[in-house]
Amino acid sequence: MSKLKRTLALLATFAVASTAFVACGKKEESNNSSADNNAANNSVADDNNAGNDANSDADSDVDSDVESDVDSDSEDGGDDTPATGGDISLPDTDDVLTIVCWTDSDLSNMFDIYTPVQASEVKYQNCGGNGTEASTQYANYLNSGDDVDLFVAEAGWILNYINDDTMSAPLSDLGISTADYADAYQYTVEIGTDNNGVLKGASWQAAAGGWVYNADIAKEYLGVESEEDMQAKVSSWDNFKATAEELKAATDGAVTMTCTLPGLWQAYSTALNASWVDGTTINTSIAKDFTEMAKEYADNGYVDPSIEQWKTEWENWGKDGKTLGYFFSTWCLGEGAQLDTCCGTEGNWRIIQGPQEYFWGGSWLCVSPNCNTATEAANFIRTFTCNADTMEEYALYSGDFANNKVAMNKIIADGSNSNSSLGGQDQFAILADVAAGIKMSDSISKYDQNLKDTFLTILKDNINEDTDTIVEKFKAQALADNTDLS
Amino acid sequence: MSMKQQYGAQKDSYHTQIMIKSTIIMIVCIILTLICLVPIFILLVNATHSHTELAENPSQLWFGSALKENLNILLNKLPDDAGKAVTRVARQYSSVFSVGRGYFNSLIIAGCTTVLTVFFSAMTSYGLTVYDFKVKGPAYTFIIAVMMIPVQVSSAGFVRFMYSLGLINNFIPLIIPAIAAPAVIFFMKSYMKSSFPLEIVEAARIDGCGEFRTFVTIALPMMKPAMAVQAIFAFVANWNNYYTQNMILKNDKMMTVPIMVSKVLQFDKNVNYGVNYLCIMLSILPIVVVYFILSKFIIAGVALGGVKE
Amino acid sequence: MASAAQSRIKSISYAKYGYMFIAPFFLVYCFFQIWPLIYTFILSFKGNQSGNADFVGLDNYTTILFGQGMAAGADNTRQEFLQALGNTFVLWFGNFIPQILLSLLLAVWFTDAKVKLPGKGFFKIVMYMPNIITAASVAALYVNLFGDSEYYFVNSLIANMGGDAIKFVSDPTISKGMVMFIQTWLWFGNTMIMLMSGIMGISPSLFEAADIDGANSTQQFFTITLPLLQPIMVYTLVTSMIGGLQMFDLPYLYHSGANFSRNLETVAVYIYYNFNKGTVEQANYGYAGAASIIIFAITAVLGSITFYMNRDKDEIAKKQQRKRAEKQQKARMKQGGGLTI
Repeated sequence: MSKLKRTLALLATFAVASTAFVACGKKEESNNSSADNNAANNSVADDNNAGNDANSDADSDVDSDVESDVDSDSEDGGDDTPATGGDISLPDTDDVLTIVCWTDSDLSNMFDIYTPVQASEVKYQNCGGNGTEASTQYANYLNSGDDVDLFVAEAGWILNYINDDTMSAPLSDLGISTADYADAYQYTVEIGTDNNGVLKGASWQAAAGGWVYNADIAKEYLGVESEEDMQAKVSSWDNFKATAEELKAATDGAVTMTCTLPGLWQAYSTALNASWVDGTTINTSIAKDFTEMAKEYADNGYVDPSIEQWKTEWENWGKDGKTLGYFFSTWCLGEGAQLDTCCGTEGNWRIIQGPQEYFWGGSWLCVSPNCNTATEAANFIRTFTCNADTMEEYALYSGDFANNKVAMNKIIADGSNSNSSLGGQDQFAILADVAAGIKMSDSISKYDQNLKDTFLTILKDNINEDTDTIVEKFKAQALADNTDLS
Repeated sequence: MSMKQQYGAQKDSYHTQIMIKSTIIMIVCIILTLICLVPIFILLVNATHSHTELAENPSQLWFGSALKENLNILLNKLPDDAGKAVTRVARQYSSVFSVGRGYFNSLIIAGCTTVLTVFFSAMTSYGLTVYDFKVKGPAYTFIIAVMMIPVQVSSAGFVRFMYSLGLINNFIPLIIPAIAAPAVIFFMKSYMKSSFPLEIVEAARIDGCGEFRTFVTIALPMMKPAMAVQAIFAFVANWNNYYTQNMILKNDKMMTVPIMVSKVLQFDKNVNYGVNYLCIMLSILPIVVVYFILSKFIIAGVALGGVKE
Repeated sequence: MASAAQSRIKSISYAKYGYMFIAPFFLVYCFFQIWPLIYTFILSFKGNQSGNADFVGLDNYTTILFGQGMAAGADNTRQEFLQALGNTFVLWFGNFIPQILLSLLLAVWFTDAKVKLPGKGFFKIVMYMPNIITAASVAALYVNLFGDSEYYFVNSLIANMGGDAIKFVSDPTISKGMVMFIQTWLWFGNTMIMLMSGIMGISPSLFEAADIDGANSTQQFFTITLPLLQPIMVYTLVTSMIGGLQMFDLPYLYHSGANFSRNLETVAVYIYYNFNKGTVEQANYGYAGAASIIIFAITAVLGSITFYMNRDKDEIAKKQQRKRAEKQQKARMKQGGGLTI
């Protein structure tokens, strides 16, 4: 007994001792960081003396300018302020521009065509093997003190990061304002703007999606000769289903209409035009709607619910002629992207708008408050998000639908783009209307990625259960994961 | 005569019985060996096939010729005329799975932790064995008591704490805690109890040898067998540690082998089977090779650990 | 001369060296283990997500244990946690039983002098090998071999033989079975070698005597080997159980989608997932902390039980005797004292 007491006493002593330690550590840390801040401020001041005449007052002016810009934008839908370089308030002390992302497949095209103006190197920093994983890894990386200038965030979880001032800085700190995005697709600006109306993210793409189908299969089993005919056959969800039934009958179920549920989900959920979350309440109606549709499609064999989106089996279904078509977003259509891996470069595939105008994902470039390669970072963002010339080059090089109406209209008018994997079609011409029509900002929330992943996993695993059970399971899991929701 | 015959028959049946038993055991052992080796063999085989081959026929049973091709993708050393699709795959894999860097980081972490664990555990157990002081008993009880606490129990607090100290993306939270390894101390203490004569310490004192020097020059060499065993286990455990490393290390400059493998596993797009298998193969290769070189010693060590507890 | 030195040395107090030698352990342990544990404890009394700064008392505990808390999904959280706890025990049990049976059988066979088994050393080396392979790599390997569709190794073999694809990764039951199998695959060699060293520690004369008495090997196993192996079996049981409670790498990485598989969610995965969900506003530090403390309590109970079972019985008997004697003496003294007053 006394032994136990002694042990406990010892434990308590060490606990106290270690707490003292912790206090020391924290104090030291805060001292350090304040010293760092001073250093940073000094260097900023130096820069300012050298070039810009910005000071802290000027900063706040820039901020308020941005806010008023946003306001006027939402009223008039445009602004006549010329897109000139604003003042850069972040430091320029490093010569490596570090961009944090998960896989660099989005960035690699940019890296190919980008030439640094000032930095010695533009570096890609991996953080996670996929977007969902990255959303969990970022928080610790961004504040770890390791070099980060820009980071990429997806629509599904960007709001967590742009609404946290310790994670992201306003674009105005790089001298970029809403006025620079007059030619951009408006929804990208709205999503990149945080709750206080400060612009914090800029997207290089308008993630419009279309339906890519195998023209050989369509001709053989559906007797479809042209893209217009095919579009007529899938022009609405009812037509889409009818065609799926026709295809099933013609092929004896050997060829499915499309491959996976997540693809179908992306297109269909746009039609619902509703958010996962109303205030803090989970909106199960979209889950219910889609579950009913998914079950019908799965039961009838129009899709195969067991196929994992993006994985090799998904790719092979296209190559092996097991599916008529895929829902592809713009970032799937570049050379070497999903279009090529699923459909092969020799296949006879075509793109049409499909049953629904929809968008799929999209990524934004955000600025870290620790950005210390400001000039280069500003130039990088400008090059890919608000400069029509370079964005035209980017769109032609990558096949991605660039976030600039001027650039895209020019490409379409010039007819300078033709996608060899789509038999020479210009996917931009097909997707232009879709991109212009995207209204996404009202229906996104910071819970989207989590809720979407949860829903699609539960749907896939429980597709044989009835609709209410699936929706209940989804809601239960969503509530267990998110204490803020009800 | 008849007795002899009977005896002989019995002996024969006894022999056949043993023969049958031995054969059964042999067969079971061979099956288990196959179960242990076949996955590794398939791994090696698949690492030598290209993605296209594996997508067309995933059940390859013999070596292919694409090892070099896969390696080039992994190292991002593609010819200039390689297609954009494969370039994309190569960039993706090489950015995550950088073999040399992974080996280097894992080696640093596992090496440092091993040295610290073994040295400080020997030191602590020496202190607890050789000296008499007030808290000796409670201290040892404490060490035994905390021996079983799983890492997960304090990990939430650990990560928050390291975050507030600015030690995320730093090897320190992975290396320094190795100084405190209760289970190793327990093992070494019982080893010292059975095979370390205290008279030696007194003799050293008479010769005027300082306490710390006595420990380093006399005690440590005598504890070599126990230290070697624990060093191997500490090394393997830290080389394989995924949980803690994954919580602390976020920078791709600092990735260790297990995190790299898990990242490869997480890829949801542009997956290349051949390179996947190659990554897994490279991740287990060093430790398996070292294992087969030291296997006799390691197995003796495991047995020793079993006896001691 | 020597004796003078000896007595001089004896008179020096070496206690301070004792403290010096054990100090690094305790400093590091307190800093990196005890304080984080206390921190976790504190976190367990704080809120989740946007309420992460508020103190909520026992709310997290009542939520994950009884489903009564402030959050709308309190009961769902309880279900998830209990399912994770259940999974942990199911997965542990499902790998421990086959593992210990197989290891025991092999250990008995390998130590049986009558059985002629060539290549015993080779078998031991091969069977121990899985144990040293990185668990993350093992998970990756099995996911790639046992993928759900016929585009993966095993299902492609099944398809070639005309069977339907088996969902080794996503089916709730089969995936659990797979994790159990992989765990057994990883650990049976280790357990076997430990048990072998235990069996070899048993005096051979016991077996010889039993041989002479005509006991067959089954009888010998149940009357000699098993009872004498008890301490080492208990040790294996406890280490395996505590290992089971922290089972993370395999259940977390054995999945095909972007996220870990909920069917394999163990407590360790639950804790990790809840505190590692992204920004502070996304994470559930409270739940993670409370779950950690519950696991800590479970470990403490299990540890005490083993400690109690494995204690040195003779020494305890002696201690009790000594205590009894002391008590009697005290009582006698009291009586005596009472008399004098």
